[in-house]
Amino acid sequence: MTERGVYLDHAATSFPKPREVLDRMVETYARLGVSPGRGGYDLSVEAAAFVDATRRQLADLFDAPDPDRVVFASNATDALNLAIQGMTRPGDHVVSTRLEHNSVLRPLTHLRASGRIEFDLVPFDGAGLVDPDDVARALRPGTRLVVVTHASQVLGTVQPVAEIAAVCAGRGVPLLVDAAQSAGHVPVLLGAWGLGAIAFTGHKALLGPSGIGGLALARDVDVASTRFGGTGVDSASLTHTPSFPHRLEAGTLNFLGVAGLSAGLAHLRAAGPSESHRRQIRMARRLRDGLEGLHAVVVHSPEPREGDVPVLSCSVTGMSPSDVGAVLDADYGVMVRTGLHCAPLVHRDLGTGAQGAVRFSLGLSTTEADVDRALEAMTAIAGSRGRHPGSR
Amino acid sequence: MTAVPASGGGSGGQLGLSRRYRDVAGRRVLFDNEGFLWSADDWSEDLAAALARESGLDELGEAHRRVLRFLREYYARNGRAPLNRQLAEGTGMRLLELEGLFPGGIKQGARRLAGLPNPKTCT
Repeated sequence: MTERGVYLDHAATSFPKPREVLDRMVETYARLGVSPGRGGYDLSVEAAAFVDATRRQLADLFDAPDPDRVVFASNATDALNLAIQGMTRPGDHVVSTRLEHNSVLRPLTHLRASGRIEFDLVPFDGAGLVDPDDVARALRPGTRLVVVTHASQVLGTVQPVAEIAAVCAGRGVPLLVDAAQSAGHVPVLLGAWGLGAIAFTGHKALLGPSGIGGLALARDVDVASTRFGGTGVDSASLTHTPSFPHRLEAGTLNFLGVAGLSAGLAHLRAAGPSESHRRQIRMARRLRDGLEGLHAVVVHSPEPREGDVPVLSCSVTGMSPSDVGAVLDADYGVMVRTGLHCAPLVHRDLGTGAQGAVRFSLGLSTTEADVDRALEAMTAIAGSRGRHPGSR
Repeated sequence: MTAVPASGGGSGGQLGLSRRYRDVAGRRVLFDNEGFLWSADDWSEDLAAALARESGLDELGEAHRRVLRFLREYYARNGRAPLNRQLAEGTGMRLLELEGLFPGGIKQGARRLAGLPNPKTCT
């Protein structure tokens, strides 16, 4: 329970951040907040060392072989744009899925509209999962990239990306994994699973602030620069620095974001992410069981498995999702995300394409009492249905 | 009913929505594709009553009028719709009660009948 109520929108961003993370972030910024690596004075060198240490933290988390190939961006959307635009060439074919967020669908659609690429989207099944065989069937001789979301932000299902990576590896195609929802909840392993790249954001389950994210890249994956500028390296050259991480980082880094992300990663490690995740999954199952027992509620998410993320979507018969969200907020102090969740194709396939659904997403700060409160509220809402003959 | 291109005018924040004229309550009024008034200035009590009848509400009672009045006055004062809690406090109703009062609920019912702009969030 936060000061304003029960926050169940952790899939949008984790809130509140642990106090220790905020304190460490501000302390680091107050102590080292100069432009990292741009000056020769000690403070700038120390700041650059802090950034590099954070790259090592991330490389450790993602089983990435080279910390220099962990590059920072603003968020997962920014990182996905960097990767999708930098890993494709004119005439390429891309395979992705209907589970994707607009952070993948819109860059792909833009590139197709500009005549640069073609792409195909593979479906997901009734369990909310993509079949690796469907990915294999969608690959063409000209396929140069496969992009798959690791965890659906609508359904909570975690995709078999290691199996999909094996399919891709057999055809020599890199797999880019959108780990926006999974990083911090479940393992995302670049090396062990043979992924080409991982796009992540810092402000969700990694517990950092908004405005920081990035890419972790395999050694054999090239990503062309798509934006250019100062790197603090090779300044005499008018050509952008070709080496990683500068190749994909132009301009002064978001050092406050890096500091917060570093603190979030440290907090997560100390908290024991596996135990915390298991607790959240247990609560998600209890929430789902309760929702499924309500006559006017349709649950769209399957029963969360141990390796899924704690996200559940549902609809209330005869009531728009936005109104459900407003009632939850004002009458019960329960904060959820309603609508299409930036995943229009998932909702289209679920039959909720017009108005979307109501999403409950749990996080580190979620308690059993929060789940009780949400169920109490949904029980009251479900009990009100059918009252007005004109209600939708 | 006359379709109007979305570009080239209209109130701010409505880009991407198509517009169409409809004859309602004896006037020709511009609506967006979800039935919200294009301009809040076009609202009148007669218009609200006509829209209510279209939605299956034969008559606006005192409770309906209290909700619409609060929404209109709040919007006029603040240039935006009230927050969820402000709507509950300002009308003295729980939002679940308010939702049941209007066919279409809070957004498509109360807010639309009050002539407030379509809240273009995620849906």
